[in-house]
Order: sequence, then C-alpha cells, then structure tokens
Amino acid sequence: MAIIERPAVATPAVVTPQQTLGAVKRPVATKGWREWLFTVDHKKIGIMYGVVAMVFFLVGGVEALLIRLQLAAPNGHILSADKYNQMFTMHATTMVFLFAMPMAGAFANYFLPLQIGARDVAFPRINALSLWLLVVGGIVLNASWFLGGAADGGWFMYAPNSGPIFSPSHGVDFWVLGLQIAGIASLLGSINLIVTVLNMRAPGMSLMKMPVFTWMILVVQFLLVFSLPVITVALVLLMLQRSYGATFFDVSQGADPLLWQHLFWIFGHPEVYVLILPAFGIISEVLPTFARKPLFGYPFVVFSGASIGLVGFGVWAHHMFASGLGPVSVAVFSIATMAIAIPTGVKIFNWLLTMWGGKIWYTSAMKFAIGLVVLFTIGGLSGVTHSVAPSDTQQTDTYYIVAHFHYVLFGGMVFGLFSGFYYWWPKVFGKMLDEKLGSWNFWLMVIGMNMTFGPMHILGLQGQPRRMYQWTEARAGEGFFNLGFWNLVASIGSFVLAVGILFFLINVVKTARNGKQAPVDPWDARTLEWLTTNPPKPHNFDRIPVVHHLDEFFHRKYDEDPATHTMRKVAEGEDLVRAEEAAADAHIHLPSPSYWPLVLSIGVGTLGMGIIYGIPLMVVGAAVTLFAAYGWVLEPSVAEDIDFEPSDTDGHTKEIAPLG
Amino acid sequence: MSHTPQPQTTENAMDTVSHVKNSRRRIAATLAGVAGTIALAGCAQNAPQDTWVPKGDNAQKIDTLQKIVFPIAGIVGVLVLALAAYIFIKFRDKGQAIPAQSHGKPTVEIILTIVPALILTVVGVFTFRTIMDLAKTEDTQMVINVTGQQWWWEYDYPVQTEQGISQPIITSGQLVLPVGTNVLLRETSRDVIHSYWIPALNGKKDAVPGRIHLLRLQADKPGIYAGQCTEFCGLSHANMRMEAIALSKEDFAKWVANQQKAYTSPAEGTKAKEGETVFINQCSRCHQVNGLKDANGKAIISAPDENVYAGAAPNLSHLMSRNTFAGAMFDLVNQKCRDDVWNASSDAFGAKYLTGVTTDCLNEKNLRAWLRNAPAMKPMYSDPTKLAKTGGKYRGMPNLGLSEDDIDKVVAYLSTLK
Repeated sequence: MAIIERPAVATPAVVTPQQTLGAVKRPVATKGWREWLFTVDHKKIGIMYGVVAMVFFLVGGVEALLIRLQLAAPNGHILSADKYNQMFTMHATTMVFLFAMPMAGAFANYFLPLQIGARDVAFPRINALSLWLLVVGGIVLNASWFLGGAADGGWFMYAPNSGPIFSPSHGVDFWVLGLQIAGIASLLGSINLIVTVLNMRAPGMSLMKMPVFTWMILVVQFLLVFSLPVITVALVLLMLQRSYGATFFDVSQGADPLLWQHLFWIFGHPEVYVLILPAFGIISEVLPTFARKPLFGYPFVVFSGASIGLVGFGVWAHHMFASGLGPVSVAVFSIATMAIAIPTGVKIFNWLLTMWGGKIWYTSAMKFAIGLVVLFTIGGLSGVTHSVAPSDTQQTDTYYIVAHFHYVLFGGMVFGLFSGFYYWWPKVFGKMLDEKLGSWNFWLMVIGMNMTFGPMHILGLQGQPRRMYQWTEARAGEGFFNLGFWNLVASIGSFVLAVGILFFLINVVKTARNGKQAPVDPWDARTLEWLTTNPPKPHNFDRIPVVHHLDEFFHRKYDEDPATHTMRKVAEGEDLVRAEEAAADAHIHLPSPSYWPLVLSIGVGTLGMGIIYGIPLMVVGAAVTLFAAYGWVLEPSVAEDIDFEPSDTDGHTKEIAPLG
Repeated sequence: MSHTPQPQTTENAMDTVSHVKNSRRRIAATLAGVAGTIALAGCAQNAPQDTWVPKGDNAQKIDTLQKIVFPIAGIVGVLVLALAAYIFIKFRDKGQAIPAQSHGKPTVEIILTIVPALILTVVGVFTFRTIMDLAKTEDTQMVINVTGQQWWWEYDYPVQTEQGISQPIITSGQLVLPVGTNVLLRETSRDVIHSYWIPALNGKKDAVPGRIHLLRLQADKPGIYAGQCTEFCGLSHANMRMEAIALSKEDFAKWVANQQKAYTSPAEGTKAKEGETVFINQCSRCHQVNGLKDANGKAIISAPDENVYAGAAPNLSHLMSRNTFAGAMFDLVNQKCRDDVWNASSDAFGAKYLTGVTTDCLNEKNLRAWLRNAPAMKPMYSDPTKLAKTGGKYRGMPNLGLSEDDIDKVVAYLSTLK
C-alpha cells in the first residue's frame, strides 16, 4: 500500500502488460477487508502475523490445559491414550511453529524496517506470501483434528514410530505437509529479512550501530536459512515413505532410524535459538530504555548472540545422549553444549550490568523483561546440569527436561514476547496498554509459571517420564509431597497461568475500547522506530533518517555535558517527529497490494492436501499455484491510472505502485 | 530413600529472589518463605524411580557427578539472582538523574567470560571421565539380551555356564540378575524405538531396531528396582514398565534352576488340564510354553510372527515366577503380597521373590479381566477391523472372546506355570 505522489496524467515509462494475464488488475483498495488480504505493507503483515500467532497460542494453551487436566490425578481419563498422544504432539508443534516463530515474525516484520529506517522490507509481495503460507500451513496442521485425528508421534516425530505402519491415521501426513508449507514461509521470510537488513539500512547505520533486536533477528534468519533445508529434507523423506512407499526409515529394508534423529536435531537445536534470540533482542531494547542506560557491552551482546547461533549448530546430538552414540561423540557434544553456556552467561551478565547504576522504571514491559532474565537464568542452569551427559541419561525424557525447556521457552521466550507487547503496543496501535492490568498479567504469569513448571523439576528427578497419558500411584512414592501432590500443583499452576494470560486479553480489549491515547514517545525510548507517529504512517518515515549513533533517537533528545557526563534533555520526541514531518520527502514510492501471494498460498495448500487425498486435488492445487505464479510475474508494475483514486485538488494522485 | 535434591531448594529460592523487586515485597517474602519450606521438605519418599538414590555402581558414578554439578549450578544461580535482586532494588527509580551513558567495560566482560569457562572446564573434566567409565565393557561378567516391543520387554539369557545357565532362558516383565555382577544388556527393538531405564542402576539407553546398544547394570544389594520405557513408543508408551530383580548369587542360581525346570503337564481330570487344552487352542499360537505338547505328544511351537506384526509375544513358561504381566503394567500378585515383596529387607527379599505367585497371592481379578478383554485393559492396536496397514497382524493382544468357563480353566492352568 502506498501513497506516491506523481503528476495526474503520467504514464509509466516502462512497457508493462496493462492487466495481469489480460484479466486481473492490481488491487487498489485501501479500505476494508481487501486492504488486509491483499496488503504488502510490512506493518499490516506484522499485525496479521501477531493475530495468527496469538490465535495459535490460545489453541496450544488449551491443549496444554487438557494435558494438565489429564495428569492432575493418577490414571486420568479425560483423554484417551490416543487423544493424549495427539494432544502433546500438537501442543509442541503449535507452540513452536505456529505461535513462537510467527510471533517473532510479527515483531520482526513490524519493527525491523522501522528500526533500520526503511520504508518496507526488500520483497513486500514475498513478505505477504510468507504470511499466507504460514496461515495455510497452520490450517493444514490443525485440519487433521477434524479429518481422522492429529499427528501422534511427538513433535520430534521419531522414525520408525512415525511410519505408515505405526501411525496409521493421516495425522502425521497433515503434520508433514503443514510443516513443509510453514517451512517455505519461514525460509522466504528469512531471506527477505536478511536482504532487508543488509541493503536497506538508513544512511549512517553501520552494522554496529544497528539495534540489538535487529541484530538478533538477523542472526535468527541466518539460522533459519541453514537449518530449515535440513528439516525439509527430513520431511520430504518422511512424506515419500508415508505417501509413496519409500523406505528411508524402514528398518527391515536396512534403514537406520537414527538418520531421522540427526536430521531432526540438526534443525531442531538451532530452532531453539530461533525461538529464544528474538526474545533476547526484545529485552535488549526494553532493559536499556527503562534503565535509562545504553546496553552494557553492546558488541559483546551482539557477538555472543551470533556465537550462540553458530555453536548452536554443533550441539544437536545432546538431544541424543541416550540414543546409543559412541562415548567419544557423547563427550564431544557434551563439552560443546557446556560451551554454549558461556555466551549465554555473557548475555545475562550484560543485561544485569545494563541495569547497574541505572534508573529503573518498572513498567509492565520492564517487569516482563526482568522476568525473562530471572527465569531464563534458572532454565539455563538446569540446562547446564544436563549438558553433563551421564547426568542427562537419568534426566532425559523425564519431566526435569520439560521443566528446563519451559523455563527457557516460557520463562524466557514468552516473557520476552510479552515484554515486547507492552513496550511496542503504543507504537503499533497508538494506545497504551493498561499498566494495572499489565501488573496482574505479569504477576499471575510469574506465579502460574513457577507453580506449573517448578514442580516438574522434582517430578523428573524423582523419575516421572514425559509423554505418558497416565501416571500410576505405584511409581509416585509416599509422603505428603509425593509425585501426586506435585502433579496436582502443576495442574493448578497451569490454570493460574491461563488466568494471567486472560488478563492480557482483557487488557487488549479494554485498551482497544477506551485505552489511553499514546504520546509519541511514551517510554523516553532510544531507537529509530520511535522517530515517527504512533501508529506509523504507511511510509514509516517522512524523511529517511540519517544515523550517527547507536540509540539514534535517544541521542537526538539528549546531550551529554562533557564535564560531568550527565545527560541533558534538549528535545522532546514529539518535536523531533514534527521536524521530520516538516521536512518530508517529496516523492515516496511504496509497493502496491497484490492478489497473488494469497492465491499462490491457497494453491500450495491445495497441492499439499492433494498428496493426502489423491491426484485430482493435486492437479487443482498445481493449476492454481501455476496460475498464481504467472499472475505474479506478469502483474503490471504500475496499475493503470483509472485504478487510482481521483486526483486530489492539488493535482496529485494516490497510487499503489509495485516494487516487489 | 528419602532425600532432598539440592537443585529444587536453590531454584525455588531463585524464583523467590525475583519476587523481591517492587512494592509488593512483603507478599513476595511470604511466598518466598512458603516456597522455601515446601522445597526443603518437598520431595516424595521412596519414589521407586527416584534418580538420586543409586543402588549400584553405574548409577553411583552418575550420582557422584550430579553431586558436583548440581551444587555448582545452585551456587552460581543463587549468586547471580542475588546480584539481580540487589540491582532491582538498589537502582530503582528514586528520582535520580539520568545516568551517564556508559557503554560497558571490556575488562569486566573478559572476566565474566573466563570465570564461567573455568567452572565449566572443571565440570567438563569430570563429565568426560564418567562418560568413558560408563562405556567400558571389558569388565562384563554376564550378558542379557533385552528386546523392546510395543509395549513390553523380552529378556533372553544366552547360555553362560559360569552363571549356571546351561540352556537359554526367555522371560519378560522382570529382569532378574545376580547382585555384585557386572551385567551387560544388549538392547534392541523389534518395532519402534524404546528406551531401557532402571534409574537406581544406571541411566537410560535407547533400544533401536536394527541396532544393538549396550548398557551396564550392576546392583549392590538384593531388591526390586522399578523402571519405565522412556522413549515415546506409541499408544501404550505409558504402560510399558519394567522391574529389575536383583538376587543374591545363591538365589539367582535357584531362579535359573527353576527357569530351566522341565515342563509338567497338569494331572488328568483337573480344571488345569482342561485349561491346558484351551490354552493350546487359543493362546499357544502366539504364547510359547516350553515343553508343552499336544494330545499326540507333538511339541507345540508357537508362531507369533504369523499373528503379531513385530513378531513376538511374551513367553509364558514359568509365568507364576514373575510378579507382573502385560508389560509389567499389572501385578500378578495382590496388594498384600506385592507390598510384602517390595518392602522386604534385602536379606529376606530373595526368598520372598522366589516363592513366586502362590494361590493365596494370585491377583485373579486382573488376570481374568485381561483374559476377558485385553484391549480394554491396555490401549493396543488389536481391533481386527483396523489392521489393514499391518496386513491383518496385531500390535498387542486382541479380545479372544473366551467364555467365562474357559477363563476359569485358563486361570487354573496358568497358575500351574511356576
């Protein structure tokens, strides 16, 4: 979507087809649902990513509550064994692929261009395609619930249990296809963001003046580019085995089931950092803002993030210490895993030292950020205890591991994302989330999270394995604090947690209805995304900013007294934004909306379903995909004059012009 | 076996530290007190699968390592979070001026990199040693082949004359081993990946089809040690349990002798004899009873591979020498007799275990329910109408549709398989 100014009668200099395939024009609507379905604006796409991810967060959350209900008492009967197995498989799959990654995508999409002073991402139509493919992937994955049962092999889907014999329903097929489609989305998105960061930074913004959030997103995109192809190969092999009789994981044909484990975890471990690094990025923005100090050791935080990513490719087999690798492999992976604790520790120390000597303002955003620091530290340390391979052989596949990664991913990642919600809500929607409800939201989540996952340390160390649809009193021990007690506490905790999240939703509704209008610079923030209105204009910046500092926005507001090193406010954020408006660029070119990303996604989804339901459906899917691809390529680079809204009185038209 | 693992204490303390960071400090302090108290007293007593109660050399090695690593992690955690709490309180906004915009101190960064690296190097050295120790096989004194199948374990003792095993023994449900002996399990699987785990004796090791993995076990004292399959293996993963039985060397010899004892058919005219006929007609297609002969005196060799996808079914010779059935999911003995065995002192344990399932102890309710309709007792893929993918073969035991009369007879017969 774009507003570009141009003479009313101008015709484009390049020769372009007037109508795509002689039939379809570029959409030009700037209002109503069409505006959202066909948009290529990174901000609208970011918001839609957020909505989709939040919906799946709630779906995954309900799945989690059902799991905890089943396990609240011995021999639970709320779910059958089969349904329970589907439930934990889909809980993990949904949370990882349909909540965590898209929600990080929402933040990246919205804020990355704003943070680097760009007007959009490098390939806006591809950006829209990523979103719609994700939606289609999510629908395919969850359609399985209504079409014969969801996948039941665990999110790790170990062979040969995932094969056609051992998992006879179509659940795993839906899982394989849904993930492949969502995988295409992620891969396209990651290339798009890498190109955006490397090519579209504002003048003066060297890589080492880039905000840490953008840095972490960049690292994550590289992780995705190198790890997604591996899982794609694994998924294709599994698809060929399940749908076309291949024997890649068929032991009777000489296959080695450990092949799948290696492929899965070479992807799966970097994936963990894909999930956590965006949250690290978010709090690396929030902590300095509310401590009123720059990030301590910016280059160390950046490079520790990058080295976590790099070393993250060399530790996958720590998920396989009990798989029967030789002792030398186990030792190597054990030591490499310990090594990862070092850059992670560097980050934690730097966050703490950022606050040292600061002037800490406890907003909801800040509370969630320090919640991350504390909870992630606990999760990190329990992680060190099972980097010790012999110790891990006692702990792996028990609730101790469940406790560990929920401290890391819930205490770490989710708290980071919530910090981001509170911090950036005024930027996106122009209204302030309620701080009082935010406080309830935070404390209930802290209590709920520790009640749910804290006891799982005890459950695991006292021998309760994961992925069991029932537990038995015969193995629960004696005394008041037996495993039954802790299972019940965890289940109650999960509902406290759910109430905490409910407070967030209430907050969102309340803010939308009668929230406080946000000032331009509500947090006395530091980075470029605040150098524009709330919410930002479609073209983000009236004038592309020129960057001189890390924390450019802060340094435009404050001057340092060279003698005392104290900071003196020289300008308000509002004044700065008004100055930009006054000096707005004359010609701003932005990409036009397009039908094709959505149509292409539907085609790909249909093609996928065809793999399950047979060739006719596949032909339809392929036809739609092909049609959309041609439509995409032949789309007029500039829509016809007649498509535009009438000229304004000043003789300028509003146009929707294509780039991507 | 009661104990208080270190990490809970510290971790809960860490959470509580985080609570003390704004005006709600008093509530937080109360919470801290409650959490701390719970954590100190907060572990189950006598949990059968407790990972902090080693009962043999291998588990002891892991335990020693854990007792180094957990306190280090705990201390680091307490220090870091205490520092965090100090910062949260000390540097809160009290109206002070905006601080100087300092960007960090490389010296501090380098120290904070080197210190954790040194700590981890220490941990790494101990870890490396233990990994190598636990991988040794040259001190093996006895071998048992362990095979996982959905959803039970088969134990196969190859001939080892020095252990008194002069003919192969095949059993299931309970792994029996002599104390003070370095036993090497050779694990594999017939279908999907399972994982063998007796926490008191060692960490877990996956049983992978097409591969043989080795796991050392050694028990110091006679006793019964619980375990559980820990690699997700499908529908009834939760019901795939195991128990390791450690017997003194003399008792183990007695157990071996009993397992190698020849089959005796029940006396003519008894209910058990009628049960043998029902067994031959209904059960022996899959379940082998060594030495069983048909009416013509021909040895009956079961062929489970014709009916079961993975190819095997538990061998029921000497069934009543075990305390469990159906993948150790159900007890063959009633609660009183079970408690008697599980709570026996290590001196008395062997004799109690070797008594087997006496008539007084037999838990007929479970056994009858199983014979009446096995799939209702344990989720399995044994609905005859849904076996298209496996070419009509079962994964688990089907409902045989036995009459109550037949069930009576079969129970009478099974009770004779001492």
